[in-house]
Amino acid sequence: MKTGFPANMSLMSPSSISPSHSSRVRAMGVRSLFRPILGALAVGWMLSVGLLEAAVPAGTATNHWAFQPIRNPAPPPSTDPSHTDVDRFIVSALQARGLSLSPPTSRREWIRRATFDLTGLPPTWEEVRDFLADQSQNAREKVLDRLLDSPRYGERWGRHWLDLARYADTHGGSAIGFTRFPFSYTYRDYVIRAFNADIPYDRFVTEQIAADQLGLKENDPALAALGFLTVGMQYRNRHDVIDDQIDVISRGLMGLTVACARCHDHKFDAISTRDYYSLYAALAASSAPESLPVIDSANTEDARRDYQRELERLQTRYNDMAAEQNEVMRGRLRMQVGLYLREIAKGVPEQDVSTEFLSYRTDDIRPLILNRWRDYLAGMPDTDPVFGPWVRLARLRPDGFEQACTNLLTTLQKENGDPAGLKDLHKLSAEAPRWNPRVLEAIARQPRKSMVDVADAYGELFGTVQQAWLKALMTASAEAAPGAEIIPDEDPRQLEINSPVVRQLRRHLYGPNSPISVPESVASSLLNRTVNDSLGGRRGAIHELHLSAPGSPARAMVLKESPNPAMYHVLKRGNPLARGEAVKPQFLSALSRSDSEPFPDGARRLGLARAVVSPENPLTRRVLVNWVWQHHFGQGLVRTPDDWGTRGNPPTHPELLDYLASAFAADGGSIKRLHRRIMLSAVYAQGAVENEKARNADPDNQLWWRMPTRRLEMEAMLDSMLWTSGELDLTMGGRPFDPQAQPGVLRRSVYAFVNRDIVSNLSSTFDAANPSSCTARRPDTTVPQQALFALNSEFVQDRARALASLTGKSAGSDDAQRVHELYRRVFGREPGATEVDRILRFVRTGDETSRDLAWQQVAHSLLAANEFSFLD
Amino acid sequence: MNPLLPQSRRHFLKRCGMGFGSLALADLVCQPSAFADTTLAPHFPPTAKRVIHVFLNGGMSQVDTFDPKPELTRRAGQMLPYENLQTERKTGVALPSPFTFKQHGQSGIPISDLFPHLSRCADELAVIRSMHVELPSHELSLMLMNTGDQRQVRPSFGSWLTWGMGSENQNLPAFVALCPGGMPVGGAANWRSAFLPGSYQGTHIDTSQADPKKLIDHIRNARLAPEVQRRQFDLLRELNADHLASRPGEAALESRIRSFELAYRMQMEATDAFDVDQEPEHIRKAYGEGPQNRQLLIARRLVERGVRFVQTWHGNMQPWDSHSNIREEHRKVANECDQGLGALIMDLKQRGLLDSTLILCSGEFGRTPSVEMGQNGSGAAQGRDHNHWGFSLWMAGGGIKGGTIYGATDDFGFRAVENPVSVHDLHATMLRLLGFDHERLTFRHAGRDFRLTDVYGKVVREVIAAA
Repeated sequence: MKTGFPANMSLMSPSSISPSHSSRVRAMGVRSLFRPILGALAVGWMLSVGLLEAAVPAGTATNHWAFQPIRNPAPPPSTDPSHTDVDRFIVSALQARGLSLSPPTSRREWIRRATFDLTGLPPTWEEVRDFLADQSQNAREKVLDRLLDSPRYGERWGRHWLDLARYADTHGGSAIGFTRFPFSYTYRDYVIRAFNADIPYDRFVTEQIAADQLGLKENDPALAALGFLTVGMQYRNRHDVIDDQIDVISRGLMGLTVACARCHDHKFDAISTRDYYSLYAALAASSAPESLPVIDSANTEDARRDYQRELERLQTRYNDMAAEQNEVMRGRLRMQVGLYLREIAKGVPEQDVSTEFLSYRTDDIRPLILNRWRDYLAGMPDTDPVFGPWVRLARLRPDGFEQACTNLLTTLQKENGDPAGLKDLHKLSAEAPRWNPRVLEAIARQPRKSMVDVADAYGELFGTVQQAWLKALMTASAEAAPGAEIIPDEDPRQLEINSPVVRQLRRHLYGPNSPISVPESVASSLLNRTVNDSLGGRRGAIHELHLSAPGSPARAMVLKESPNPAMYHVLKRGNPLARGEAVKPQFLSALSRSDSEPFPDGARRLGLARAVVSPENPLTRRVLVNWVWQHHFGQGLVRTPDDWGTRGNPPTHPELLDYLASAFAADGGSIKRLHRRIMLSAVYAQGAVENEKARNADPDNQLWWRMPTRRLEMEAMLDSMLWTSGELDLTMGGRPFDPQAQPGVLRRSVYAFVNRDIVSNLSSTFDAANPSSCTARRPDTTVPQQALFALNSEFVQDRARALASLTGKSAGSDDAQRVHELYRRVFGREPGATEVDRILRFVRTGDETSRDLAWQQVAHSLLAANEFSFLD
Repeated sequence: MNPLLPQSRRHFLKRCGMGFGSLALADLVCQPSAFADTTLAPHFPPTAKRVIHVFLNGGMSQVDTFDPKPELTRRAGQMLPYENLQTERKTGVALPSPFTFKQHGQSGIPISDLFPHLSRCADELAVIRSMHVELPSHELSLMLMNTGDQRQVRPSFGSWLTWGMGSENQNLPAFVALCPGGMPVGGAANWRSAFLPGSYQGTHIDTSQADPKKLIDHIRNARLAPEVQRRQFDLLRELNADHLASRPGEAALESRIRSFELAYRMQMEATDAFDVDQEPEHIRKAYGEGPQNRQLLIARRLVERGVRFVQTWHGNMQPWDSHSNIREEHRKVANECDQGLGALIMDLKQRGLLDSTLILCSGEFGRTPSVEMGQNGSGAAQGRDHNHWGFSLWMAGGGIKGGTIYGATDDFGFRAVENPVSVHDLHATMLRLLGFDHERLTFRHAGRDFRLTDVYGKVVREVIAAA
């Protein structure tokens, strides 16, 4: 293999990497092919900015090229006045290798290319004709302006963005069937609106991470932007949900694989577990509120009223049962104090509560309750009248425990003074002694050999107290029955209720801080499975109402930051129980000043968003312009669009990348202006033509000596077939339609139901984005199942039939005219004479009765043809 | 194995200025749209070239099939001498197996009377008695068994394999999941490709449908007679040929044209492959009646045609999940597949295919030796709960050392105690037989090289014949 730069190659690859990583089968191979050219372009540039050492010890590389500030390089000089700034960068690199751009493509092909690129649909014949006739200087600009103003633009580029946002309409991870999001579509519609409105990119990103922290009105439709964080996979494990959010922000917006640092410091990039958990702290402090904000009022009053009434009914039905069942469970937990204290006495370690609790048994330890007891006791002062003895006993050594226990009890009893003082406890004015006498008595009842025995003593005592309390309540209620004997408040029979000693004990069962006093939503998660399933059914009814009631209003899938978030720690090896150092919500250290403040409480995500879009962030803008470039050229200037770390590919044209990123910033983050900047270039206008000399010099077309041939993605293909047959329904927005269940709905694919639990065969056959994680670039496969769809599917045949009949009507009995109509609609051009003859021959073979079918077959063949599916 | 015609392949290589030494790379780099066509060079000479995974979904009870525990009979009705291990639900006293075990073959592998036909092939089997998974949950254990990860979205074994080995028959999907009557729990996630390209996802086929034409999406044109379609296909060819003629050397165009040719042929061949009526009667009889037996015959027809990975699921949801009445329920499901399993091994052997076809027969976990306490708290239902602590599975063919028993559970068959084998170990072992070092079969995604076995896995050499 010829490389002009053997010495540079070693600079581009980290020399020591771990055995399992170094033994990659294919990725390394690909890189080794990319390297010569990349070396040629990048090394010179790296030298110029003093980055040579960047590539050497991977893993510590804060001086990695992508982390350097974005510069604003001047375009190289050019002798061709028609060349734009973009062209100058490309052409000068081509010239350095003795190459040039391919000859420009035809105007007809250019408008087809541009129309597909911006709208995902072909141009109409009239648009083609008008453009061909427009001799004005700014004819192309006029076309681009028209396309960028079309609502179809937002649908096209919104879909690209939804790939990054791993958008789906179902929760994912469900085993039986799937659960739909009722409001995911509001995020999809937000994205489409945002592209159409050309919202400045900084604002677009900020809204998606922190719309709720921007002081918007409570019904502002922009709140739906938070779907970026909330439409991801609904893992059962909270840590996985946060991990998904970290991934979509870091990989999707900044091309960084931060998620690698969940378990260990990144092996190749300057990202530590501390960085990971700093982002974690920014995100984990937020969760979805109980009720999502309504962001539209489009429904009729009647439908809305019916919905509201039904919602209240269902919520009451759910809340009542949940509250009762929770109370039943708390009642049991009060009887089970001994069970939990015993576990703690045995030294059972902290429980991981990040996965769902499942149990059929009342006496199963609830891990969350156990943790609460542990924390409760850990924070208990040794002066507490009830648990003070526990705390002191727990300090004793195991050997000689029994004797030491007896000694301690004697001391405490002495401190209590004369037991005779404990009279008249039923009096409301009575006070308890220093140490709860019933606790001392319970422990002293028999010899205690260890803390487990002490736990039993406490357990028995609390059981007795709880039962006595329930009885006392009953008695107190019964005496209020009509005709029953009235018992005065200070009567000795009210002892159980009035005694300060018992009250001290009850405080630990009923007090607001008691481990048993779990909030309703948490309590519900601890119920036995049968009860939980039944409650789940009631929750499901509410969900179903949101999902399909005609009056169910659109809601934004927002997040809300907790006013008192927990303290977050580095979790060593990703283990939620192995807490390391505490972390503050903060940005990645490699991209921050050393003196940067943590994100402010109450606005942690806003702080994060500002760091992502900060003018000093070297990645966000580069990654965005690269992503736009990739969608125009099939490949980015950085060919690993979601890995800009040391193991990704460096840019083929670092200066052009920085130029575009700077211009993008100067344009106020306008993506539409970026399209114009790219699409008005000669690079974009060049032909898609093979060239043996150039191919030998640059096999991967990294220098852009030609426009690559691109195949329509699934959505563009399906939409264009519908468009071509005149059937496309251009209704925008709203709940998704299900193409399988509603084959008669012929809307654009971006509005189709996306099921991440059961990925449709069509989506997987045609390389649609994997909806379970961020996709920066789709795979591009060619498999026979795609051809089977084109040959045999009802969908394609129905379009062919509609197309045949449409052209039949407009052309009347003029068969040649009909061929012209077909070619214009499907290929955007006139057919040649031999082409017309071929079609006519095909149609006229056979008898009159099969004529309609023959025209359908012609239409079908055109739709299945390469010319329809590929852009030159 | 690679659908690139020699001529055009040479053309690519020439264009890339490369020798024949790096074919797979040439495809990848010069022709990104041929992503699906690339294969990797194996790390070792493979003994197995294809896999049939018979999935007894729901969980087969080890103490009733391949792991006899006389202690259970001795202690019938008593609590086990230790606290029952935590499974999904509460379990009670020892429940002896209602089935009778006998030793079979030269090797004397004990198999219960649930599998009389399979027992005749005992000397072909390597039984692992010390399998274990992480949780007694169907969903999670199915994901673990199929993708090596019970929580994250990862590619399935079949996807890894077809990505690594490609297909031997471009007229058929390389990875097929057969399931009569619907979907197992977890549905298509069981055969997903996750971050591998979508074409490596398993093709699900509902085998309760006996008409082979309805088995694959769009395999037949319902509206056009074959000769009418032929004429249309010829027109399409002409259109594409003209288009290509003005764009010489466009690999993506050529590749799509080829895929149409394959699809056109597949219309015939795929329906043939699934049409068991083409088998002679004695073969059909040998496999037996019913969809479970029939799909084992389909599996043989598929691997014979070069399909790389066939997974046969016992049925919709979780048919082996015998929470009650293990005697009747396990008898029923075993009856449905025993004859086909025995026939499959014999049939492959007679055709000389057994040596190169790895059969794995497993559930997602086993079942408890203690009786499940039903909702009323009694064990009256005579069923067994999920057991992830220890269970059995068997493999045969493809370089497996037949007549082997590996690993052991405790005296009651509850927990794997001797040479425990994790799912990662199982995957590593299978990959080894298929010619891959599980530590080197990696795919770059999201900045990391992913492995089927993540950071785990140890090859169980004791079950490999040539190891």
